[in-house]
Amino acid sequence: MGMYNWRVIIRNSLPLLTLTAFLEIIAGQILQGGEKLLVSIPLLLVCIPVINSVGGNLGSILGARLASALHIGSIEVNFRDTRLIENMLVALLMGLITYFILAIGIYLFAVFIGIEAGDVDVLEFIGIVVLTGLLLSCVIILVSVLTALVSFRRGVDPDDMVAPIVTTTGDIMGILFFFILLQIFGVGI
Amino acid sequence: MDTGEMVKQSLPLLILCGFGAILTGGTLSGMTRVLESIPGLIVVIPGVIAMRGNISTALGSRIGSAYHLGLIDADNLWSEDLKQNIFGSLILSVLVSIVIGVLAYFTSLLLNVYPNPLELILIVLLGGVSSAIILTALTIIIVYIVFKKGYDPDNITGPALATIGDIITMVCILGSAYLVEVIL
Repeated sequence: MGMYNWRVIIRNSLPLLTLTAFLEIIAGQILQGGEKLLVSIPLLLVCIPVINSVGGNLGSILGARLASALHIGSIEVNFRDTRLIENMLVALLMGLITYFILAIGIYLFAVFIGIEAGDVDVLEFIGIVVLTGLLLSCVIILVSVLTALVSFRRGVDPDDMVAPIVTTTGDIMGILFFFILLQIFGVGI
Repeated sequence: MDTGEMVKQSLPLLILCGFGAILTGGTLSGMTRVLESIPGLIVVIPGVIAMRGNISTALGSRIGSAYHLGLIDADNLWSEDLKQNIFGSLILSVLVSIVIGVLAYFTSLLLNVYPNPLELILIVLLGGVSSAIILTALTIIIVYIVFKKGYDPDNITGPALATIGDIITMVCILGSAYLVEVIL
């Protein structure tokens, strides 16, 4: 007889998966709210998975590092810990570099494949994606650190909590920030 | 907590996964016609992708743990433990797909969008289950190769599966939307 049973796997996973499904539907409804704009400028549709994936990965990487450091005891559960602050700033810098490179990548990909860019020019586009990335990285990093610290304090393994929490918050906030910046830059108006 | 090491190891991976996500976005940008003709379809996309990521990475990491515990190895991969894991992941995909479809339908009604409930739930179910089957098969193949080479599956399966998984899931949703449109 093995160690795994499919009923136990379902019983353990279903509550969290249902909760994340519910939160992802909020992200989906925000997308639906901006659907007309997205469909009229397909270049913007390309950005959605990119913005969300980078945000989720950045948060998960930082969260996993913090979880290990907390387990080993090399950082403290404290916002005055300089190593913690340094890690947050480096993560922010990594986020900015990644969003900048990918903004150029998305634009080149769109030109190469022939995806319509509407009235969005390349500099405006890079500005929108990088600023969305900046706001999202700040939120993701804070959420990741808070989740790691709070779950560690409460005796829950941060490894189980950080990834699902940062990816769902990232999906909602990423789409929200993207639409706000499109409004500010006056895209599609 | 050496940050230089984080940049060296994680930044290339972050950028590489981002380029994978551009392919996912490219697929999404090719869906403008079905997005317009099927109300509510855009609502389910983040949910299905997140579900796929959560279920597949959990499967990958459970197989990784089973490997470390010595329950499975390359010569003894097709064990009872693996079968239970595969079956559990597939049933989870069916259940969560239905949850996503139903939630997308009712929340849309609240916002004065009126999807066809049967069409929407069928697309999510088909997209969710077909991507689950493909990704489960892929996970087992990746794990098998990783075992054979003697690497630690924990370092490989997560990021690789997440990036490939997103692209496959988006293609599966697109395919299901076309199929359901033709059938209904």
